[in-house]
Amino acid sequence: MSHSTAVAPLLQLRGVSVSFDGFWALKDLDLALLPGELRAVIGPNGAGKTTFLDVITGKVRPTRGDVLFRGRSLVGIPEHRIARLGIGRKFQTPRVIENLTVGHNLDLAVKGSHGPLTLLFGRLSAQQRQRVQELLAVVGLERHVAQQAGSLSHGQKQWLEIAMLLAQDPELLLVDEPVAGLSDEETELTGKLLRSLAGDHTVLVIEHDMDFIRELQAPVTVLHEGHVLCEGSMDVVQNDPRVIEVYLGTETEGEFQS
Amino acid sequence: MADLVSSRHLRRSLPWLLIVIAALVLPVLLPPFRLNLLGRFLSLGIVALGIDLIWGFTGLLSLGQGIFFALGGYALGMHLQLSALAPGELPEFFGLYGVKALPAFWQPFTSPLFTLLCIWVLPALVAGVLGYLVFRNRIKGVYFSILTQAALLVFFNFFNGQQKLINGTNGLKTDTARLFGELVGSDSMQRNLFWLTVLLVVGAYLLSRWLTRGRFGDALIAIRDDEPRLRFTGYNTTVYKTLVFAVAGAMAGVSGALYTVQSGIVSPQYMAVPFSIEMVIWVAVGGRGTLIGAVLGAVLINYAKSLVSEALPETWLFIQGGLFLLVVTALPDGLVGWWRRGGPGRLASMLGWPPRTATYPQLDLDPAVQAERSELEGGMK
Repeated sequence: MSHSTAVAPLLQLRGVSVSFDGFWALKDLDLALLPGELRAVIGPNGAGKTTFLDVITGKVRPTRGDVLFRGRSLVGIPEHRIARLGIGRKFQTPRVIENLTVGHNLDLAVKGSHGPLTLLFGRLSAQQRQRVQELLAVVGLERHVAQQAGSLSHGQKQWLEIAMLLAQDPELLLVDEPVAGLSDEETELTGKLLRSLAGDHTVLVIEHDMDFIRELQAPVTVLHEGHVLCEGSMDVVQNDPRVIEVYLGTETEGEFQS
Repeated sequence: MADLVSSRHLRRSLPWLLIVIAALVLPVLLPPFRLNLLGRFLSLGIVALGIDLIWGFTGLLSLGQGIFFALGGYALGMHLQLSALAPGELPEFFGLYGVKALPAFWQPFTSPLFTLLCIWVLPALVAGVLGYLVFRNRIKGVYFSILTQAALLVFFNFFNGQQKLINGTNGLKTDTARLFGELVGSDSMQRNLFWLTVLLVVGAYLLSRWLTRGRFGDALIAIRDDEPRLRFTGYNTTVYKTLVFAVAGAMAGVSGALYTVQSGIVSPQYMAVPFSIEMVIWVAVGGRGTLIGAVLGAVLINYAKSLVSEALPETWLFIQGGLFLLVVTALPDGLVGWWRRGGPGRLASMLGWPPRTATYPQLDLDPAVQAERSELEGGMK
């Protein structure tokens, strides 16, 4: 946060287009995130939400356009370096290393050098170990620290992955469907956690669950066929005729999920 | 409870203990021919350890470890060809092809020190370069396996064709060479080589264990299970894969050199396609990701192979194929994995003996309890 002034956006997408063999997953997408902002991104299936994250995190190279992070272009930088610049990503389905324990998952993710020599010869600093303990407490997995991640429940895996994301201490958190498959109670806690992160971090949440988005009380960006359809508060967005036309037809589906 | 702990301890250390006892007692018990065989098979355990590192832990199935194995063998073979020569003399085979001067790349192999380095550094370098090019381009899975096999074939054909440089198909003999004034093929030298092999197997095992314990090993497992996840966490996975592939290459080189001096010859046959596939089978049968299983697999299968081949030469390939099928279908974790996950107990109960239980039998046999217990055990690994 100290690196950016209050007005300059932390993340900016300028005219980003992505073509997969002639199919345009993203079309001329413009989007800016201010430091400390919490933003929700919604859109029907196939709107390009995941490709949008892939472009930011370096998995997919934009066919046209530019992605700027703190004013610096991310295009062409490999994924691991983008991650080290301070962009963390949580995947749609929980992606934890199932054959490692909960604690070891976090030990791998915790901020610090990720070079092979450090991992071979270095030890976790007291600070890093403390951070892991804190995060275990945040997501309520202290008792499971020695348990294999693969044996956790779905919700616990989601939270472990969020904890891994936090362990990286990224400036920008990209969170893809954090509450898919969670119970109501877990969903509420996840919402609280994400809201508490905003301010210190910039958080972008992709979700299908409309109730969850409303709970976040965050500005909403609606994606449709690869570009931004409209932006605004949940109430504004819901009353926008374009959104009603392209999106609310599937909102019933969204309500089934919640 | 104490019983449980000690039996778990025993289960963990038993295979290891067996190898140590065998190494101590066998030189006394076995005739030189059998001891020599065992030494050769143990040296194969080192290449198997390397395969366990890259395949069992990192998920890279290489079918081309024969390249690095043969490179180590050739490095030592060349040195031994030169070691007994008077100044100005050439190794005998050069005469057959009318070669009058020692090819330039043979020169440094007169130095024992250079040779000792070359045995593991050269294969490590070749593996590192090959690995880097492949991993940088994100080639993985079955494509990686095919590529390594293709590379193996390239090396195999190249070495076969170079009569004037390295005696082509015939390979280089080492038996009649002298090391420290003693014939390499002699019984006492072979016994020393057996000890050296045991020492290096232990060294390679300890190195592998050090690499796979701690966060580095966790990173390898993470690459195997979900490489993109690790990349998005800020890890340059290409570096890790290149590194571990180079280590496995170095181990293959050491293994090849030890195998060469105990077999009396190094030839392009070490780069034959079936041999490199067999190496993978040893690891699969012994147990992927168990380290000790790789060594056990290499020794047991090769011993079985030599015993079966002596009695019924035609049947070995069928038995080997059957073993592989058995492991793939019934023992996916290999022998050691099966052992560690309570396989013997399950087998006993299948045969009608009740398994030994820690609490009430009914409670112990409850599937839910068993599932929970195996989860807990997994977690403590």
